Amino acid sequence: MGKHLRHPLGQSVTVLVAAYLLIKFGIVYLPPLIGIASAPLPSSVVLQYMITVIVGLLLWVSDNEERWAKFKQPMHRVMVDPEQKVARAVLLLATPLLVAFVTFDRVRPSVAAPVSFRSIHPAPPGQIDFQGRTLRLTGLENPLRSRGSEDEHLEEGKRIYYQNCVACHGDGLAGLGHYSQGFNPVPLSFQDVGTIAQLTESVVFWRIAKGGPGLPNEGGPWNSAMPAWEDFLSEDDIWAVIMFLYEQAGHSPRTWGEEPGEEGGH
Amino acid sequence: MRILGVVKGQLGAAAVLALFLLGAGAGGVSGQEGLGKTTYDKWCSGCHGVDGDGRGVAAEYMLPRPRDFTLALYQIRTTASGELPTDADIRRIIDVGMPTTTMPGWEDLLSEAERDALVDYLKTFSRFFGQGDEPQAIDFGRATKVSDAVLTEGREQYQVMECFKCHGEFGRGDGTSATTLEDAGSFPIRAADLTENWKFNGGGSVEDIFRRLRTGLDGTPMPSYQDVVDAGVITEEQLWSVAHYVRSLAPEDAPGIDEVIRAELIQDAALPTTADDPAWDEVSVSYIPLVGQIIVSPRWFDPRVDGLWVQAMHDGQELAMRIRWSDPSQSPDPDWAEWKARIIDLMAPKEGDPPEAGPTPDRLVVQFPKEVPTGLERPYFLMGDQRNPVYQWRWRSDQPGAVEAEARGLGTATPLPSAEQAVTASATFADGQWTLMLRRPITTESVSDLDFTTGEAIPVAFFAWDGDNGESGTRAAISSWYFVFLEEPTPATVFIAPLAAFAITGGLGLLVVGRARKREQEGIVTEDETPDEA
Repeated sequence: MGKHLRHPLGQSVTVLVAAYLLIKFGIVYLPPLIGIASAPLPSSVVLQYMITVIVGLLLWVSDNEERWAKFKQPMHRVMVDPEQKVARAVLLLATPLLVAFVTFDRVRPSVAAPVSFRSIHPAPPGQIDFQGRTLRLTGLENPLRSRGSEDEHLEEGKRIYYQNCVACHGDGLAGLGHYSQGFNPVPLSFQDVGTIAQLTESVVFWRIAKGGPGLPNEGGPWNSAMPAWEDFLSEDDIWAVIMFLYEQAGHSPRTWGEEPGEEGGH
Repeated sequence: MRILGVVKGQLGAAAVLALFLLGAGAGGVSGQEGLGKTTYDKWCSGCHGVDGDGRGVAAEYMLPRPRDFTLALYQIRTTASGELPTDADIRRIIDVGMPTTTMPGWEDLLSEAERDALVDYLKTFSRFFGQGDEPQAIDFGRATKVSDAVLTEGREQYQVMECFKCHGEFGRGDGTSATTLEDAGSFPIRAADLTENWKFNGGGSVEDIFRRLRTGLDGTPMPSYQDVVDAGVITEEQLWSVAHYVRSLAPEDAPGIDEVIRAELIQDAALPTTADDPAWDEVSVSYIPLVGQIIVSPRWFDPRVDGLWVQAMHDGQELAMRIRWSDPSQSPDPDWAEWKARIIDLMAPKEGDPPEAGPTPDRLVVQFPKEVPTGLERPYFLMGDQRNPVYQWRWRSDQPGAVEAEARGLGTATPLPSAEQAVTASATFADGQWTLMLRRPITTESVSDLDFTTGEAIPVAFFAWDGDNGESGTRAAISSWYFVFLEEPTPATVFIAPLAAFAITGGLGLLVVGRARKREQEGIVTEDETPDEA
């Protein structure tokens, strides 16, 4: 074993295998260490990294004449040595078989769902028709933030959320309700910094009021299980639940403001 | 023994309740301010209520109802029946949740400190904690090894212990007593479907199942079998065999969700003509989860059918699809009439229109678009809409056959003209399971239906109703769009590329080796002449 590890070919193979394992299975564990979400590398990226590693290894072995000769020697022996006849025959047969198999795997017909493109935040309309009235979304603020008691609005928003939204969006607001696995696309997580934290309250109002059926085509309205809540909730109900969403998830809505902080008056 | 266990459990619950009521005047819940209370009020009170009595604002939309902590009755414990849970027991449920209920796991959402604080805070809702000794976890010993003999023994004890009375002959929650089960709050409760171990509250491993047998699920009709062991009626080893047998009723692994159902091409045999044809055992199975229809009013928060096992085959002429699902009764079954009335009483009134009166059958709908979509656009998954209708195969348990229909929204299905009806159905019901086969020519003369194509993914969705659970109309279990893919014969061109790759690689290899050997023979001379360079 030790002898093989001192040989440049053995070392190269070891580095190659270790690099493959690290790239394929190891890297995915790194981002969580600093608190970032992570996903496995796509195979094209793995291939790119492996080519880089191979080029590096070749540079290293060929950098020194003696190492290069030593590196080539076992391969050369397999090709010419009369005693290595069996190994030679096996290699000559196994390599083309492997290549043929990989090719077959690539060209055979596959059973896969069509790729679906979907815009998660399609552009909102300038105005909507809400329960028979026209609501201008542009510049629209949550009226409850400047009316009545904030605690009462939040209490009401919590009731509405727990009686209507929990089954899909979950009591943790992470999109993990007990029905979430039944739908595709899965319900949005409000904890995610990419959802309500990126939107003005008026856009959230539009999404809640019109639901899946009110999405433009690029949002895939035929797949979304989000109900059109204008059929169930009043205008104030929706504003209250929006207040609760931001409060519970610990996010602030995006503001229209020319003047930042305009909306933080209470 | 089982009946005794139930009575014991209910007496226990009543005693606990009485004691709580006596003590409630003296300050009730002691308000331990701090992390536990803030965490509880923020994340738990919506369901369990600020006072821990299980009456949060969401409670009446949930069945089973959220736990009432004032009763100190905990189902999943490592302690003996009737005893309080350990802190670790409470913490485990906070971490992983209760999969057959609406209780989620909080492991990823709350910090370690918050979850620990919750354990302490939950205990303040009941006067029983902190009195007397700390609850002690039982030493459950190690699982016995499983073998055919152990499973046979387990099956025998399953009968002796009368597990079948609630859980049914093959574990699908269809026993004769299942219609009458109640929890400590007098709410109807289902006997667990033992074929779905990945949803067991408390975990689905053999060890988990043994613990539930040994400790019982306090507050539910599931008794502890410790007294039976203590009385020498059965041995601990036999109780382990029951755990192994129960585990064997469920698949080896929890099903993943396949987006595509593969309709295998049958070339050298005829398509099955019945739902029970053994040929079905040879093709792959996809699992499709179903959830309550809570999109259109009246909504339904208590669907009984939570998943379908779907298979498909075609022979180039016809497509056959087989769907199996757990359902404890062949609706309408008079034995379940009272259950149905209670579920409707609990779950229906707040949702507008009353449910269909009279006996309600079980129903299943398989839905496709009317045409194979060319772009991304397809009809609305919830039975289409005015602009873009869907095409459906509709089956119901009280009528023979199945009907082809068009729908433009939930509750709007209209059958195709009888001359255009081409789908046939074969259904059997046994031991709490429906097995339904639907079959139709791949293409038809009708212009109102879908002409299937091979080699591409065609959208498909499913809907199910358990009539005896009060389901009809919009009160249904639904799925989103999945796909069915009718396989094509593998074209010969698929084999040409690998053959070429084999020939080229093999040829190159031979060439390299040949040249190396030739050079070697010539090179021996060269090397001898210039030994320094070697």
